[in-house]
Amino acid sequence: MKWIILGAVVVIALVLSVVLGPAAVPLGELLHSDIVWSLRAPRALLAFLVGGSLGVAGAGLQALVRNPLADPFLLGLSGGAGLGAVLAIALHLPGPWALPIAAFIGALAALGLVYRLGLIGGASLDPRILLLGGVAIGAFAAAITTAIVSLADAAELRNAFLWLWGGLSGASWDSVLLVALYAPIPLAVLFAASRPLDLLALGEESASYLGADVEKVKRRVYLAASLLTAAAVAVSGVIGFVGLVVPHIARLTWGHRHRSLLPAAFLGGGALLAFADTLARTVVAPRELPVGVVTALIGVPVFAFLLKRWTI
Amino acid sequence: MLRRLLFVVLLVVGCRPSDRQTVRPSDRIVSLLPSFTELLFAIGAGDRVVGRTQWCDYPPAALSVPSVGDGLPPNVEAVMARQPDLVVLYNAGPNVTAAKQLERAGIQTVLIDLNRLEDLGPAARTLGRLTGRQEQAESLAIVLDSLAGRLPPPSTTSLAFVVWDNPPIIIGHGSYLDQLATQAGARNVFGDVAAPSAQVSLETIVARDPQWIAVLADSAVPPAFAKRREWRAVRAVREGHFLLLPGSLFGRPGPRSGQAIRELRERLEYDDVGAQHAAPLHRGPHR
Amino acid sequence: MTPLLRLQDVHYRYPGATSEALQGVSLAIAPKEFHAVLGPNGSGKTTLVRIALGAVSPLVGRADVDRRSASTWPRQDLAKLVGVVPQREDNLFPQRVRETVLLGRYPHLSLWGRERAADHDAVDRALAACDALHLADRWLWTLSGGEYQRVRVARALAQEPKLLVLDEPGMSLDLKHEMGLFELVLGLVHEQGLGVLMITHDLNLAARFADSLLLLEGGRPVAAGPPNDVLTQETVEKVFSWPVAMQTVDGRPQMVPLRQPKESRA
Repeated sequence: MKWIILGAVVVIALVLSVVLGPAAVPLGELLHSDIVWSLRAPRALLAFLVGGSLGVAGAGLQALVRNPLADPFLLGLSGGAGLGAVLAIALHLPGPWALPIAAFIGALAALGLVYRLGLIGGASLDPRILLLGGVAIGAFAAAITTAIVSLADAAELRNAFLWLWGGLSGASWDSVLLVALYAPIPLAVLFAASRPLDLLALGEESASYLGADVEKVKRRVYLAASLLTAAAVAVSGVIGFVGLVVPHIARLTWGHRHRSLLPAAFLGGGALLAFADTLARTVVAPRELPVGVVTALIGVPVFAFLLKRWTI
Repeated sequence: MLRRLLFVVLLVVGCRPSDRQTVRPSDRIVSLLPSFTELLFAIGAGDRVVGRTQWCDYPPAALSVPSVGDGLPPNVEAVMARQPDLVVLYNAGPNVTAAKQLERAGIQTVLIDLNRLEDLGPAARTLGRLTGRQEQAESLAIVLDSLAGRLPPPSTTSLAFVVWDNPPIIIGHGSYLDQLATQAGARNVFGDVAAPSAQVSLETIVARDPQWIAVLADSAVPPAFAKRREWRAVRAVREGHFLLLPGSLFGRPGPRSGQAIRELRERLEYDDVGAQHAAPLHRGPHR
Repeated sequence: MTPLLRLQDVHYRYPGATSEALQGVSLAIAPKEFHAVLGPNGSGKTTLVRIALGAVSPLVGRADVDRRSASTWPRQDLAKLVGVVPQREDNLFPQRVRETVLLGRYPHLSLWGRERAADHDAVDRALAACDALHLADRWLWTLSGGEYQRVRVARALAQEPKLLVLDEPGMSLDLKHEMGLFELVLGLVHEQGLGVLMITHDLNLAARFADSLLLLEGGRPVAAGPPNDVLTQETVEKVFSWPVAMQTVDGRPQMVPLRQPKESRA
């Protein structure tokens, strides 16, 4: 039953984001409209894929670092992506895809550094160090970014920040195709880690006694969740709160078992972002709100409500 | 006329104590906005400019004045090192703080609003009074006032100023660029957006279908986003209808605003005709 | 009968430590045997568990589970043989009793497969064996300490192991629940033929329930064998550095700590 409701929510969110928009497209012309085909439809799908990826990445990382407040962007990836984007502009890298590719590489570099830091205590990946290292690397990358922006001549460098928080404006069938081809691999890795993630909630020692290969699981989950997030930031910038709030909402309804939690977080995250982006495009039309503003406006009250529940 | 001048000075500059003491014309001026630098040179006070921002690239003589950095926000020490007796700043947040610091160091400062065409005349007069070049300033101001007061020609074409592509940020009503387009006979399709600049959805640009996409750019190549697939939903992008406007002339209000309007109008007319003749088969129907 | 677990002359030293945590410890547990490992804090009990479960490998000697070196077992296969009730564990997210016991079925599940009826039957059997079937739908956080420990034993039983390892299971339980837990474990030994390795600091309970004791001091085995052989007054006083009197209840030795004479108090 709850799956049917979630499926309905997904369909409604996608339909709304195709039907609604700042430009008036009569319902009868919906299927023939260029605006719908080349802009709204890819944007709705990209929102769904990115939101779903962030939801799953958040759920996986929360179980991995054993911190319910973990957000996929907490692990330094947004800082790395920002640095990549600024460098792309500063070095005048040509081509329409220069920024997303540079941001993706920046996020990967941050990922690699954080991962290496996480292994600092030896062969075992320490989730606490992942968390602290992520925050530190993120702050470090942000500091370098700010230094470049304030020292370099080009005023357009400041626009890198716009890009980083740009949301889904850059959606096209190209980016949809890219994500649709890329995301299934890390998603499959995370889904395959569902049961060991359940065990990990008991602690690493207990998880290994129950049969989980803890080290392998930690590495796979961290890398897969980070790769998903890096791709998300490359196509849509930093979109907060989806990866934080959606896993919690999914947990309230589906319980903590990742075999149902992860698919629910994917569908829920996708629906939430598609819906939030529809609001961002329409409520102040012809202007547009940054979609991160909308996800935060929806996410924070939900989160406050959850925190209240938790402390009872 | 004197009363009007006084009124403008009070309005623009505010009622700070230092303003009432300005009797002696300044002869060491640091200008922290390219528009001010242009105005100072235009009223014949260019030889008193001892500091400028790195963006102040006109007139060419300004380039020989030492730069004090990008001015965003002003580097107060670099400004003071030029030993000015007057610093002219654009009236905005970080500059107010810098102005206070300079005042504390005993340097006279003036914060001037310069956002629209109609700010130009008053700004010229203020600078004229401060430099003792009232007459030259007044004659320039009259020209500039007439620009602002002129009834715009009927619009024959339409454009959208795209400041940034992802997210798309456009120029709205109440900005200098909007005025520039209107005076050049082009309708800004985002003239209804009551903000100098605003983020919009790409589909809004598609729906409003401007004939031109105007971009402040010093290069002659269309911007990178012209190649992005989602932008090709915009007809003007598909058809390569870009107006690439050098920022030095078009990006700032100043004594050359009239020239900017004229050149923009010429380019709208010439490029329109030229494009039609060059590639008649690839053009969509005009509205 | 082949032992489920066999430690032979195990030595271990933690990286960077100056002394060995285990020095020449041997132990063999066969089905239907209840072994208890005793010793004061820091005597190497937990290290022994880690060695036995293959979490670390001995520097010298061997640790075999079912004749295969413990550290070379794939974790999932080992979990089908050995069920563990660790001393501590987290509960990151709230869950119900049946859910947590179902986690014990993990080693028997394939990567993508669902839990089948057999798995749910195993959960029910484990809960029933631990007298916890009535708790199945309760949230974990609503359980008392004794109920919680029984549920954790049930989760280890759901693994359908041959060897059960319990690390200080009686900690923070009151008398009734502690006795109940030991009776439960002994019942599993008798009825299901499990081998049991229990780490405890409670000499008297170990002596009452276990077939064989191993007494550790500073990583060295001090005595091993049936309770009556191990728990002599002389050995206990030496290992725990406290004067005791020994009595016999139901044929098992029981230790009573004595008040220290006034003149020897510092």
